[in-house]
Amino acid sequence: MRWLIRRVLKQGKGAVSYEEDVHFGDVLSIGRAADQAIFLSDIRAALNHARVTSQGPGRYQVESLILAGIRVNGELTYATTVGAGATVEIASTRIVLLDPPRDFEAAVEISALDKAEQEAVKAKRAKPTSLKETWIGKRFPSWVLFLLVLVFGLLLPAATHFIPPLGRVIAHSGLPTTASWNPGPLDAAHRFFGDDCKQCHQTPFLTVRDDACTTCHTRMAAHADPARFNLPALGEARCGSCHQDHLGLDGMVNTDQSLCSDCHTDLKARTKDASQLADATDFATAHPEFRVRLPAWDAQGAFAPQLTRLTPGLKENSGLKFDHALHLKPDLNAPSGRRTLDCATCHVPDAGGLAMKPVNFETMCHDCHTLGFDTFAPDRQVPHAKVAEVVYMLDDYYAKRALEGGYTETSAPGFVQQRRRPGDQPLSQQETIEALSWARNKSRQVADSVFTGRACVTCHTVTRPSGPANVPGGGWQIAPVRVAGIWYGEARFTHAKHSTMNCNDCHKAAESKTATDLLIPDLANCRQCHAGESGGSKVASTCIACHRYHQSVTLQLKQL
Amino acid sequence: MNARHESILNHAGSRWLWISLGLSLVSLIAYAWHSPSVPPNGGTWLGYTLGTIAGLLILWLMFFGIRKRSYSGSSSLRGWLSAHVYLGTTLILIALLHAGFQVGWNLHTFFLVLMLLVIFSGFFGVYCYLRYPTLMTRNRESATRSNMLEEIAELDQNALALADGIDPKVHGVVLRSIQNTRLGGGVLTQLRARDDSDAALAGIRAALAAREKSNQAATGAKSGQTIFAMVDFLASGTNDRQAEALRKLIDLLSRKKSLASRVARDIQYQALMEIWLYVHVPLSFATVAALFAHVVSVFFYW
Repeated sequence: MRWLIRRVLKQGKGAVSYEEDVHFGDVLSIGRAADQAIFLSDIRAALNHARVTSQGPGRYQVESLILAGIRVNGELTYATTVGAGATVEIASTRIVLLDPPRDFEAAVEISALDKAEQEAVKAKRAKPTSLKETWIGKRFPSWVLFLLVLVFGLLLPAATHFIPPLGRVIAHSGLPTTASWNPGPLDAAHRFFGDDCKQCHQTPFLTVRDDACTTCHTRMAAHADPARFNLPALGEARCGSCHQDHLGLDGMVNTDQSLCSDCHTDLKARTKDASQLADATDFATAHPEFRVRLPAWDAQGAFAPQLTRLTPGLKENSGLKFDHALHLKPDLNAPSGRRTLDCATCHVPDAGGLAMKPVNFETMCHDCHTLGFDTFAPDRQVPHAKVAEVVYMLDDYYAKRALEGGYTETSAPGFVQQRRRPGDQPLSQQETIEALSWARNKSRQVADSVFTGRACVTCHTVTRPSGPANVPGGGWQIAPVRVAGIWYGEARFTHAKHSTMNCNDCHKAAESKTATDLLIPDLANCRQCHAGESGGSKVASTCIACHRYHQSVTLQLKQL
Repeated sequence: MNARHESILNHAGSRWLWISLGLSLVSLIAYAWHSPSVPPNGGTWLGYTLGTIAGLLILWLMFFGIRKRSYSGSSSLRGWLSAHVYLGTTLILIALLHAGFQVGWNLHTFFLVLMLLVIFSGFFGVYCYLRYPTLMTRNRESATRSNMLEEIAELDQNALALADGIDPKVHGVVLRSIQNTRLGGGVLTQLRARDDSDAALAGIRAALAAREKSNQAATGAKSGQTIFAMVDFLASGTNDRQAEALRKLIDLLSRKKSLASRVARDIQYQALMEIWLYVHVPLSFATVAALFAHVVSVFFYW
């Protein structure tokens, strides 16, 4: 086999010359030993470093004869089969395997690497020795992360605000919508529409408008008319100034004392006498005495309570005569035996716990205070609270007894006293007239006694302004009564929240001998337990504990 | 002159430590004193104030990347870094106070988490900057890395010359050892301080096994490591002159091995000092984007 060995000789200034040589043999040996076909003088070459075997035109097998292997086309290898054009590098020598020219079966070209080339090869093979030279970088990931966060954190959610259909698609895909901006849990009542931010946040970069609130809260009462009470804070107050959502259950109701005390100081002067309210800034230190709704009735008899400031010795007119002290004595003598009454016998809280149910005669008083009118008929009683009915009933009753006979009272005519048996002669016309006349008189007498002597007058004030006229009901009038009800018109006292207290802690009923004693507690009584915002050892109670902000009875928020 | 070494932590009498502590204390006092009608959150006046401070701090901390590259500043870069570290740490507290310690499944908490990741990766950086320069100096033994690399190249040449005088087989072993000594490499290789000889060895060993199967011309190649190969050779009995040369060769190669592992360690320390920045910097840019998204979204739905 004929090998062409071409040596490339560099002669400076880029000039190159070639020196060709012929080698006979199947194998081309490469090494530093003298007997090698290609002799390398470099110490980095082994004596018998490698061999190249031709496997046909342009096909060569390259084998390393040492442990270190050789570099073929830059790859470290022990044995490989390559085509023409492959490069074998040993030390500073480059051997290129060529397509054999005519008359040769194999060919190689040998060139020495100059310094620059050696450096370049070395640099190429050198591995990175600092992170800067590796694949990782900072600029690209920075851009990627910056843009990812911007797109998914801001731009995409913002787009769902402006394009609602896109929002629905994105919400289903699990990608972030404006819901990802939700800073905290909504108030429970707002959650059912909480996915749709726009229900409240109607315009981007504008605070939530009151319209958004009053769309649902249609009948919310206003606080006061900002036109009449010219206070800047009142006019500028938005719903959101006090009601902050996204703070769970804590944020919605502002219970700060300053919510009220900022304005309710020097109020008369600042509203130019438009407000007549006394100043109140702290329950413990600056709060006026309570005003109670004293029972009163207008000319038509309609209930028209009088808001009156509590003063010591203030009397009330409930329309009733009642001795609390007497009724609270133990072992009262009742028709059914000995009974001991307590407050709850007559005063029962209503279902909401706010006030007491009205006192009910039938269930509470009637056991003892029976309304019987005739000893000959102890079971018969007049109805309660129906003046005309009482008179009609008495008329009917005595007319019946007069005509039936057998009414053995001595004042009655004989034929009325006489019991009639079946088959007796009926009363003559004259007797009938007499009997009915007696009955009418008797009925009047008994009515007088019932109204003014025995029954009604025990508890009620009974008058007969029109005299014994023949008006329905005989002209008797019972004064109107109001016992239980809302006493504090300007605050919301609820009995339910005070169930740990005893009644007489606040209501001095056991010492009251007359119904005109006002048993409603005053400011000092409440202050025993309650103080203002900085409660100290007492119950910290800000204004909102008793008062409402949305308290106007005439003005609604929507009207502002 | 102060004999103590001044580090980024105690720069200028720990000036930035005190400034940061002062800022933290003021924020804490304000937070404790502030009693809004609602639970503390970013929407109260203090929330807005702390949020503004925190946002400006983030932008200022980002500016360190620019300041680092400019060499014209009047103040020292070490001072800047000291401030960067301390104020960056303070940012954790200010951000938490700003949020009123409220977290949720939302963009705002994502922002917080990103920010904390940046800060904690920065803590690792501080640890590296305080620890590795000393270790690096000790490791280099007052040489530079290029000194060591030059010495390795020289040792390689000497070893080859020496091996050539002993036996072609030994020469081959030394050649292989030179080839196997590959310093540096990919990110993990750099961080693990490996001179890559094991990896190269494994590749060659596999090829070797294949070669042995076909060609039973096995020599002392079974043992992977150069020195073992040479001890094998020694044991196989040679004349005294060769043994002497071999011992010298082993000395040379041991010296080279120790140099190579020192260079590898040098590369490792350097890589450790830099690697956290590849987390810190991209995450900090993500944090800036999150800051922007946070502020805009909050006022978008005011």
